Amino acid sequence: MLRYLIKRILIFIPTLLVISLLAFGLSKLAPGDPVELINRGGSLGGVEQSLPDADRIYQETAERLGLNKPSFYLALSSVAYPDTLYRFLRRDQRENLSKLTAQYGNWPAIEAYYHRIRQIDLALDSLKERPTAIRNVRPQLKLLYLSYRDQRINSLIDQVGAGIAADSVLQTQLGPAAARLRSDYETIKEKATPALLYIPDIKWYGLDNQYHQWLSAFLSLDFGRSYIDGRPVADKMADALRWTIVINLAAIFVAYLVAIPLGVFSAIWKDSAFDRSSTLILFILYSLPNFWIATMLVVFFTTPEYGMDWFPSLGVGNMPADAPFWQRLLDAAEHLILPIFCLTYGALAFISRQVRGGMLNVIRQDYIRTAWAKGLDARQVIWKHAFTNALFPIITMFATLFPAVFAGSVVIEYIFNIPGMGGLTVGAIFQRDWPVVYTILMLAAVLTMAGILIADLLYALVDPRVSYNNSNKP
Amino acid sequence: MLIGVKKEQEIAAQLSTGKGKGQSYWSVVRQQFRKNRMAVWALRLLYVLLFVALTGDFIANEKPLYCKLEGETHFPVFRSYLVGVGLADWEAKFFQTPWHEHDYETAVWPPVPFSASTLDISNANYAAPGAVRKVGDYAFTHWLGTDELGRDVLAGLISGTRIAMLVGIVAMAIATLIGGILGALGGYFGDERFKLSRARLWLNLLWLPLAYFYGFGSRSFSLQEGPLFTELLISLGIILGLFALLNAIGSLLKRVPALGKEVRIPLDLIVMRLIEIFNSIPALLLILSIVAIIEEKSIFYIMAIIGLIRWTGIARFMRAELLRVRSLEYIEAAQALGYSEWRTLFRHAMPNALTPVLITIAFGIASAILLEAFLSFLGIGVPPDEVTWGSMLNGSRSKASAWWLAVFPGFAIFLTVTIFNLLGEGLTDALDPRRKQ
Repeated sequence: MLRYLIKRILIFIPTLLVISLLAFGLSKLAPGDPVELINRGGSLGGVEQSLPDADRIYQETAERLGLNKPSFYLALSSVAYPDTLYRFLRRDQRENLSKLTAQYGNWPAIEAYYHRIRQIDLALDSLKERPTAIRNVRPQLKLLYLSYRDQRINSLIDQVGAGIAADSVLQTQLGPAAARLRSDYETIKEKATPALLYIPDIKWYGLDNQYHQWLSAFLSLDFGRSYIDGRPVADKMADALRWTIVINLAAIFVAYLVAIPLGVFSAIWKDSAFDRSSTLILFILYSLPNFWIATMLVVFFTTPEYGMDWFPSLGVGNMPADAPFWQRLLDAAEHLILPIFCLTYGALAFISRQVRGGMLNVIRQDYIRTAWAKGLDARQVIWKHAFTNALFPIITMFATLFPAVFAGSVVIEYIFNIPGMGGLTVGAIFQRDWPVVYTILMLAAVLTMAGILIADLLYALVDPRVSYNNSNKP
Repeated sequence: MLIGVKKEQEIAAQLSTGKGKGQSYWSVVRQQFRKNRMAVWALRLLYVLLFVALTGDFIANEKPLYCKLEGETHFPVFRSYLVGVGLADWEAKFFQTPWHEHDYETAVWPPVPFSASTLDISNANYAAPGAVRKVGDYAFTHWLGTDELGRDVLAGLISGTRIAMLVGIVAMAIATLIGGILGALGGYFGDERFKLSRARLWLNLLWLPLAYFYGFGSRSFSLQEGPLFTELLISLGIILGLFALLNAIGSLLKRVPALGKEVRIPLDLIVMRLIEIFNSIPALLLILSIVAIIEEKSIFYIMAIIGLIRWTGIARFMRAELLRVRSLEYIEAAQALGYSEWRTLFRHAMPNALTPVLITIAFGIASAILLEAFLSFLGIGVPPDEVTWGSMLNGSRSKASAWWLAVFPGFAIFLTVTIFNLLGEGLTDALDPRRKQ
């Protein structure tokens, strides 16, 4: 048993690694620049900054997020790429450089061209006295950072050159640089070495990389800070989990409470009218998409349109924290009845089917016939002899049910606007708040795996016939 | 087991009556299936849905089926297919004036004279069911109302049928391909029977990074700039070519004794671990985050992603089935005849294991349709101008008084999901050997 447990827990490791890689890979593939996201949210938004200042602020934010490091332990690319590409912090510029390299394959020339753009950019930044002329040149120059198509670069270089030539001061200061910009670009094209792109090269970055940093922090339970509001992810999740756990536990409790008698009686009176109608109703309930039912409930029962405004509108209410406990409970309950109902009915149908199946298997067995033959009364036979034995799969189901209901509540929380895990998840995904998304994905995977493991273990515990020792295998 | 007994009885019956086709496996299954009345009805409804999905253009369309305009006869709906493949063009007048506003001499309209994307300006802002386009013009009635932009709900439901069916079927086709092959490999070869020479093992492991590098890494620029489909085909060609090349080298190197030593590959173990890993991935969350980062929205990405994640159930069934099938006598016979392992697997073992997989496929289609509806409901994944059941349902959230947007699309989702669930149940019963009488 212990060996089995250890073996199962060992399987957790590769699974978690795969999921962490998926989450991390997704965050790297996702468009958008987290540094910009944060800086935009900060107070520095509208202020015009000088280029070195902007760079310094950018760099500080990137360092705080750990984005100034290579992303992974190693990278498989061609010898045409430098192994220090990650040092170009700005994501859009870095990607453009990488596109140029993929096109021409000669990094030294591309780097020289990049530095030439930057040189002109910095010079323009320090030349404060010709604002109109600079305003003509600067946007084109900024676009050069992000252009990789030949035609576009040529026309932009022309425009920059013309803009500089139009103003005498700029011409004397920057004329030569503008000319060299063109020759730098011509060098890239003339000395292109696309063959280098076909020579593979593994670039080794060691342990000091973003993935390692994130994973080791995660394993020491430091989940990082949200990109959006800077709060620790753990705090945000703790707040959200409160609501999710409340509604999920309530839903599962109600579901079991109704499902068990329903399943037991429809098994006992198999093929009766009760059995057939309950089977049909449960089947329909099971097929009803819960986001449809939730939407219908919201539309019909929380708005005054149809004269059935019986429930408060979305959210969880905002009773002040110092209100009497009972009043707060009542208010929360009023808000939560509909969401809990939506979560309950699907689980109810599922559980009740399982109970019925389990009972049917037990009722057919000899010892039940013996119990009847002994003359025990119906209640004893059903609840003591049959039900206790049909109970095992029902207990173990709880472990697998919990992650499922948890995922289902994403939908419901989103629709009913409950500030739980579902709302947090959908919001974080939409806003590309990766620290939150990572953590939720990983924790959900752990929860799922733990659920399956606990189900298996419980199964072995309650049913002595089940054994996970290898020696017992036929 | 019972199937074996059944087979024997069948053969005996065939020998005595000389009638072969009457009691085939499929006719038994069909007989069992027919006993389940709900499932039979589900199947009939499925035919209706498929019919609507296939002929949706003729049922709901803003173009007339037939019309006579300025003395010329047109068949616009048929013509739109030709235009679609690039064999014909529209006259300028059809561009300039919306279809509904021509002065036709005669015109035959489809039963629902609106397309899903037709904007009926006079009925914008949620017209109730029964609203007409112009006063007294009952041929142009919005039987199920309109949405915020004045799009007809019934037309949307009809075009949504096609999308839902497409999502369900394509996603499950991908899943069946992946799950079927992986499950078959695991079940048929087990942990013992798949052997490779060392040379080929190593070369095939080397193939993975090389395939990535030459297929995608080196060609990243062409993949980004060129026509995507052609470039992807070239990449695929390179990858397959590399595979053939490396394996050819492998078979040469096999002659070297040290490299030729055979290694056992525990395929079953690998497949089972893969299934376990995929099962622990919180699929809904993963799909949400993948779909949310794709910038170019398309329904096909959703199909592909659902297919790539939801194959585990099929793989499990396939594996279990092949574990059973591989010890049957006819497989032994095939092996004794000297057929290669691959031929035995794909030509003889797999086709006989496919039937039970149908159950998983039926349930899988239901859940794929549900998932797609939910994603469109959230408004991610599908382009905003595409009308799907989910996106119509979402429309009701912004206007509570438009009950028709809450009721009808949701009911369509429910009906479709129920149909596939019922089919799954029916198949489970029909294929259950214990029920065969």
